[in-house]
Amino acid sequence: MNARDRAPIGQGIARVGLILSLLFGLIAVGAGYWQVARASDLSRAPDNPLVIAAARDVIRGRILDRSGAVLATSRNDANGEPYRIYADRSLAPLIGYSSPVYGTAGLERAYNAELSGLGSPNSLDDLLSKLAPGNTRGDDLTLSLSLKLQEAAVKALGSDRGAIVMLDPRTGRVLAMASTPTFDANAIANPVTAVAAFKRTAAAAGQPFLDRATMGEYVPGSVFKIVTSIAALSSGAISTSTTYPQQPAAEKTGLLVSGFRIHDGHHDFTGSLALDYDQAIEVSCNIYFALTGLRTGGAALADYAGRLGFGAPIPFDLPTAASQVTNGGGSFGGGFKDDVELANAAYGQAETLVTPLQMALVAATVANGGVEMKPQLVTSIAGPGGRQTINPEALGSVMTPGVAGTIGDAMRLAVESSWGRIFTSGAAIPGIQTAGKTGTAQIGGSAEPNSWFIGYAPASNPQVAIAVVVEQGGHGSARAAPIAGSLMGLWLKTLNP
Amino acid sequence: MTAATGLRRSAAASRIRPRARRRESGLLVLVAVVLVLGSVSLGVTQRQLAGQPLAWLPADAGQLAIYLGALVAAHLTLVLAGRRSDQVLLPTIGLLGGISLLLMERLPQSLVTQSLAGRNFGLASIQLGWLLLAIAVITATAVMVRSDAWLRRYKYTWAAAGIALLLLTFLFGNEVNGALLTIEVGPFSGQPTELIKVILVIFLAGYLSDFRPLLVSASMRLGPLRLPPVPYLLPMLAMWAMALGIVVIQRDLGAALLFFAVFLALVYIATARASYVVLGLLMFVAGSLIAYQLFGTVRDRVDIWVNPFIDASGKGYQVVQSLYAFGRGGILGTGLGAGLPLVAGRLPIPAIHTDFPLAALGEELGLLGVLAILGLYLVVIERGLRVAASAADDFRALLAAGLTLVVGVQAFIIAAGNLKLIPLTGVTLPFISYGGSSLLANGVVVGLLLALSDRGVEAPPPPRPAGSRRPAFLGGPARGAR
Repeated sequence: MNARDRAPIGQGIARVGLILSLLFGLIAVGAGYWQVARASDLSRAPDNPLVIAAARDVIRGRILDRSGAVLATSRNDANGEPYRIYADRSLAPLIGYSSPVYGTAGLERAYNAELSGLGSPNSLDDLLSKLAPGNTRGDDLTLSLSLKLQEAAVKALGSDRGAIVMLDPRTGRVLAMASTPTFDANAIANPVTAVAAFKRTAAAAGQPFLDRATMGEYVPGSVFKIVTSIAALSSGAISTSTTYPQQPAAEKTGLLVSGFRIHDGHHDFTGSLALDYDQAIEVSCNIYFALTGLRTGGAALADYAGRLGFGAPIPFDLPTAASQVTNGGGSFGGGFKDDVELANAAYGQAETLVTPLQMALVAATVANGGVEMKPQLVTSIAGPGGRQTINPEALGSVMTPGVAGTIGDAMRLAVESSWGRIFTSGAAIPGIQTAGKTGTAQIGGSAEPNSWFIGYAPASNPQVAIAVVVEQGGHGSARAAPIAGSLMGLWLKTLNP
Repeated sequence: MTAATGLRRSAAASRIRPRARRRESGLLVLVAVVLVLGSVSLGVTQRQLAGQPLAWLPADAGQLAIYLGALVAAHLTLVLAGRRSDQVLLPTIGLLGGISLLLMERLPQSLVTQSLAGRNFGLASIQLGWLLLAIAVITATAVMVRSDAWLRRYKYTWAAAGIALLLLTFLFGNEVNGALLTIEVGPFSGQPTELIKVILVIFLAGYLSDFRPLLVSASMRLGPLRLPPVPYLLPMLAMWAMALGIVVIQRDLGAALLFFAVFLALVYIATARASYVVLGLLMFVAGSLIAYQLFGTVRDRVDIWVNPFIDASGKGYQVVQSLYAFGRGGILGTGLGAGLPLVAGRLPIPAIHTDFPLAALGEELGLLGVLAILGLYLVVIERGLRVAASAADDFRALLAAGLTLVVGVQAFIIAAGNLKLIPLTGVTLPFISYGGSSLLANGVVVGLLLALSDRGVEAPPPPRPAGSRRPAFLGGPARGAR
């Protein structure tokens, strides 16, 4: 019996040995993955002890604006320990801070490796070998941002909470990116005041640490009608001459969608006229866009929103929140729950949530003939090894130049026509044709609505696109549109004539 | 056993003839060269970082000399005792232990301190002490164990001892990182699971070799699986319950995983039937799901495993820091002593000397160093399984295979955990991690493997008739009743 059993037991041992060898091979593959494939990006992580140790030996690089104005630099305190100095508190939510106590945030965090001199493979090797002489310099970052425009944007928001994104529609380069309230990053960077300042800021009303421009999620209201327009005109669901016979009556009684009544009623003067597309944009007719949304269908609306960047974080130099058309999961096309949600979403009042950056890109894409440019803040990185320029990059073509031209014309009329002026006159810039769309986003209850504007100028040759949101700022025409007009005017006439 | 062989045997035992072990001595010279080079490399780096002048000398010549002396002494003892046992195991273990010594010399000595007879000892000194004891245990076991009768005869006694140790840990255990791991006896504390794993293998080898024919032949069908009758499944259920019990009561996931994996592998070796393994894996999955639902510790470990970077400064901290260490090492490593164990005076990985030594070695010796260390474990596994395959009977085959698996599987569990291939569970890296219990228990394992590989060891007893092999609890005749 024993002899007969010998063979299987030997075989079992051999098989177990083989399996164990394969498992050890798996460990070898795992070690190779982390030590070779991922070695470089792991070694640049902001919380890697290597990076933290490097920060003590390296003079952190500077951050400069488009004209070379210093936004952030480092100085040594009495003990020779370096600490960070920032030019203006309007930059705080965007640039963040680099603190010996609290680490890094904002752009200081996103570009920590470069600012700490770990940007190029050679410098990493130098640090790893521990034989490099101390006090090397980190890389300098140059931004497309204009410090003066940034300061003006924050000043325009005043004591209100809100965000402003201004960018060049042709390149996607960010000119200003404001978020209020701001905070005192100098106090957090200074080791003496860091703890008190951080605690004060963290506890302050309005979440100053939150960069509303990239991470704030807002109900868009009527500015979303531009997204609906892109989907409806591109898919052929409507043309500029499309009218809805039932629309004039619904202005008085409300539009009945599956038992839910959609109200409008802010443009009595159009009376019994069935509005066409341009007129519907000029007076911001909710009924027209609810019907357009239903005709376009949820799938097409979600599809075009997705092409614009909805549904995923926008690729950018800073972390961004994803905008959404709907919560998703619904069985009605595109993830909508039913036709009521779709009709409300079409004029920006359902489960639709957007970031100011996303809406600035919507305006910029219309301005740029339908081609969406990747938003960009850092334009060059300069270090001991030379200067690396980061070129503009297209994200993709969202619509045809024809559709973009049609929507652009309607947005120009919304600011410049006699009807449009009733709502959007504040955005007009003397001597420059402007295109835009206001939004008055109801946020529920008796709270004042959020005031929105998106647009661009000059209408015929766009050089700047903008999104403004003022939390509880009332009607779009009251607060956001005048801010947009004055900031675009400042940029086109004074700062960058 | 005939009278003639008995006479020859006792004659041989009374007249010990030294027998040269050329292969072992050659390999030990190689090990000494590697360790001296490593120690010099560490010494040069340490002196440079401390701003001292360059000198091509070992980091701690005294400790290295003592350690190498102990290896030579072990070798000479085996030579003088005339053992014809495996000649590769001792040098391989010696190299792993030497790497451990260099690592402990390189870490902050204040990690572990102990006062003895008015003197204070730091991490490396204490580890050296344990390494010397482990070498002594290996040598003593290899020389003195001339018969396995005491192991095979009292398998239920062994099982009872194991369960008693387990109960002691349940009742008197101290908590370490949320797990009941150590018990204290006077000034000493130890991890009983390290000893229990050896006892478990002894019991399983005895049980499985006795009932192997029944486990292989009898069967009932359960769906697509061919299984033995229910009574023969009881041990598997008991093992599963014990592993789950270790998870539930001790929260010691590593030990539970190790025990169950070794058990399954031994059952497979004994029966050559995949159905047992499939059933065991199904039970493992079921047990894991239950544990995941019920216990926060298990959920945390799994969540950290899925993405440690989500909470990189909290729960995922140690694993993320471990991966950073591997990443900093790259292919060639920073060199011994040149890694970054301290940031602002703090260890990024607090348990680096017990749970994450591979991460520290990965940083300083690089991918090549990690591959070399994995290779050393594969050598141990290959030698151990070779002993098993050429064993004289089932008991010895299963015992040698089980002892080998205990070391191999444990090394896999912790190495894979360090590299985020599986959820991290706190077991030691055999022969490298700091800790006396682990070193001594693994010393017993290696000593037994050496003893079992000795061609001069006593022949196994003849197999008993098949009828007497029914387990007593099935109502079969008691041993020798027929």
